[in-house]
Amino acid sequence: MAKDANPSAEIHRRWVLVVDLDRCTGCQACVVACHAENNVPVVGEKQAAYGRWMHWIIIQRYWEGEYPNVKARFMPVMCQQCTEAPCEPVCPVFATYHSEEGLNAQIYNRCIGTRFCGSACPYKVRTYNWFRPEFPEPLTEQLNPDVTVRTRGIMEKCTFCIQRIRRTEIDSQAEGRIPADGEIQPACVQTCPTNTLLFGDLNDPDSRASQLARSHRSFRLLPELGTDPGVIYLKGGETNA
Amino acid sequence: MHKTLTRREFLAIAAGATAATGLAPRIRNIVIEPFVRPPEELLPGQATWYASTCRQCPAGCGIIVRTIGGRAKKIEGNPLHPLNRGKLCARGQAGLQVLYNPDRLKNAVRQSGGRGSRRFEPLYWPDALDLLGDKIATISSAGRLAFFGGLMPSHTYRLAALLLEAIGAAPPILYDLQSALEGRSVASQLSRVFFGSPDLPVYDLSHSDVVFSFGANLLETWMSPVAQSFAYGAMRQGRRGSRGLLVQFEPRLSSTAASADEWIPVRPGSEGFVALAMGRIIVEERLGHVGSHRSQAVLYQNVDVREMSAASDLPVETLRRLARAFADADRAVAIPGGYLAGQRNGFSSMLAVQALNLVVAQVGRQGGVFLSNPEPAPGLKKIPPVNTFDEVMDLIRRMKAGEIDLLLIYGANPMYELPAAAGFADAIARVPFVVSFSSFIDETAVWADLILPDHTYLESWGYQVPSPGADRPVVSSQQPVVRPLYDTNPTGEVLLGLAARLGGKPAEALPWQDEASFLQETVVELLGSSLGAYDARTPAGFWALWRQHGGWWSEKPISREPELTDVAQKALPISDPLFEGDSQEYPLHLYPYSSITLTDGRGANLPWLQETPDPMTTVQWGMWVEINPNTASSLGIDDNDIVQVESPHGSLEAPAVIYAGIRPDTVAIPVGQGHHDYGRFAQAVTGSNPMALVAPVTDPDTGALSWGATRVRLKSTGRKQILARLESLDGKGRESLG
Repeated sequence: MAKDANPSAEIHRRWVLVVDLDRCTGCQACVVACHAENNVPVVGEKQAAYGRWMHWIIIQRYWEGEYPNVKARFMPVMCQQCTEAPCEPVCPVFATYHSEEGLNAQIYNRCIGTRFCGSACPYKVRTYNWFRPEFPEPLTEQLNPDVTVRTRGIMEKCTFCIQRIRRTEIDSQAEGRIPADGEIQPACVQTCPTNTLLFGDLNDPDSRASQLARSHRSFRLLPELGTDPGVIYLKGGETNA
Repeated sequence: MHKTLTRREFLAIAAGATAATGLAPRIRNIVIEPFVRPPEELLPGQATWYASTCRQCPAGCGIIVRTIGGRAKKIEGNPLHPLNRGKLCARGQAGLQVLYNPDRLKNAVRQSGGRGSRRFEPLYWPDALDLLGDKIATISSAGRLAFFGGLMPSHTYRLAALLLEAIGAAPPILYDLQSALEGRSVASQLSRVFFGSPDLPVYDLSHSDVVFSFGANLLETWMSPVAQSFAYGAMRQGRRGSRGLLVQFEPRLSSTAASADEWIPVRPGSEGFVALAMGRIIVEERLGHVGSHRSQAVLYQNVDVREMSAASDLPVETLRRLARAFADADRAVAIPGGYLAGQRNGFSSMLAVQALNLVVAQVGRQGGVFLSNPEPAPGLKKIPPVNTFDEVMDLIRRMKAGEIDLLLIYGANPMYELPAAAGFADAIARVPFVVSFSSFIDETAVWADLILPDHTYLESWGYQVPSPGADRPVVSSQQPVVRPLYDTNPTGEVLLGLAARLGGKPAEALPWQDEASFLQETVVELLGSSLGAYDARTPAGFWALWRQHGGWWSEKPISREPELTDVAQKALPISDPLFEGDSQEYPLHLYPYSSITLTDGRGANLPWLQETPDPMTTVQWGMWVEINPNTASSLGIDDNDIVQVESPHGSLEAPAVIYAGIRPDTVAIPVGQGHHDYGRFAQAVTGSNPMALVAPVTDPDTGALSWGATRVRLKSTGRKQILARLESLDGKGRESLG
């Protein structure tokens, strides 16, 4: 294989997604953008009611207090791309594995649908294809040719839009440069109207993402589990001094 | 002897034949301009991006569409566009499903079994145009033709208005539910009274330190939600060391209110009293830093703070605290929103809120209120302000009286969107001939004789002057990003075809060969403007750049400072809210709100939007009634219990959602579900349309529909309907992981 086949691995990148909870308004633009980009199926009302919905990113909403002093807070949750991912060691067929650039990847054609990874995931972000996805014609035309359409019995989840990372890398490589900070944007980051979401390289001390990761507002989900997630949340309601 | 035809002879005959049939070549070669110029050695499977304009709501955001092999694959925001700056909302992202919707009409149709039969037979387009042309030509007087428009692209409006004027008919009546819910016509009237111009105000959120939103769902569906959300993000965390504050006054905790620092559930219809009391306190106690308030004392001369406090359910101390926070801020802004416009005292409430900006001298100041820029060229017209509900009621009256012989409907679904009690269903039955231009068989198209389906927006030409605008003059351009999928016809072309058939004045008024040549002629008015972010040497070059960029805008921000009228020299009006329905018999206020995904029901046929959870209740594919926990327990109602909601005008059944963020005297229902037609995805949902409950009453000051002024009562039916929710109510979590 050519030496420059995987430029991000070569320069030791660690992709992270920063979620600024002070900006999130729960508008769901990321949810639809993700469906469009990643060929995520629509399951319909009945299956959704069983809890078999298939969003790769959801906006969790938490209530605090009682009327009239009630507050609701939004938190977008997607695959946390853990460094010590609980989903990885349980897969009997190595369908889920860890890439050199910190991504927790899923190989669909290895998956045999044991759902062990879904049970092991403490963030409940993996979704399972209970049925063969349906795209009544001509809705098949909406499918992104860069992304596999998964079939029944396959576990799937957020990939940080690996196809978009690769596309930007390949395009910039053709121009003889490395992608600038902020140039790589997963679909959710690209569309987010309030700029809640930001994507970047944690290993680059100058990147916006690594700067925000050092903010006093930053935290990660369920840190006591020691999963070392690649999604960094910024606490809401505080000034970024 | 066999005569052979020489090439020269053949050409002569062919040219003669063309001239004899009078057919100018209709097919022209118009090169489509990509957003990024592709290399010549473009490979199959490689993506090409085209810039266009989103038409999922009236905001007019710029989009770029990724196409591969002639098929649109992904819509993203146009990063160059100054309105949405590369960003897009959930509805904008779902646009592909409008284009690829399996329930689209594939050709022109006539209802063969009579109106409402839902039996359609295909019609050859020239025959359809002949049929409609005959109807127009044989109408006894032009006053008997009505054009009902909703969300119209600026250029289609202009062509329709020109044609109607040429045949002597009234211009299109513009009205749709979304514009009623966001208070578009009232906002325009408010601008006229306050600033002497019907152009909508632009609130400079990104530079504000304190934002008081009175019933404006500015982070959801109100006006220009993507631009406002972008500004909100900047207001929160865009400036180092300072963070703007948002306070929302609304009877229900909307997702805008959930994003706010403080939610103040004021009594419905009393928002104006809160603003009046705060204004009075600021002026009386000389709060803030703007110096003398003497000139503003006249505004509040009739205001008694204690009375206002009692009427709005807010203690005087709270009003004082809020007034102080507003006045002490370096840059504060108050926004009068759609919920206010939906009350019978709406106009006085909105005047009171807008006056707060005056009191803290934020009219035309950074972080305050500006006006949308006027059209950058005389030909590129905005569509005029939407009509009032009173004007719609007048049309309904004329239809019922048999004064309308031909009704044309474009971009609106009045059968679904108007309050059932307005009587549109009876009225349309009395119109002898109805034509719909809808791409889908919606509730209104079912009552049409003829459906002439428009292209969807990704297949169409057009332009849109965003209103409210951006921080600079801007026009969004729309171009086909894919070849039309079916034998549909853009309504602009239909109007041009009709004008040509009618001849005479209409043909003179609409002399263009096709939509594109009309647009080209209009657009090149901008050539040579000193403001533009780009310019060209030739009209053709400009036309190409216009399509490549997805519009035209000024290179630098240009804010338009409003000029105050004499409104500031008179006492502000104080008027009590009135409600339809007796307060004993119907103890609860009804709040029908615009859904963040389906808006006024337009999005209900898109599976992505149906599957997307509502941000507050996390319900997917459903419709519900939100009830305060105390109200629910006093009526013995639990989550998922089907309740009957009854108003003096109608009733419906829906499952209950016990909702902590709503006043005990109010119930809220999202608008958008309850479709009887409009395709398989819209019809798959068990739900009702809350417009069945809404009383057709108006604010006498504006003639706008008071959609928030109906009272209802609740009754448990003893049945249950389990809503599909993302959130688990029993704490068990997801089945897939069990």
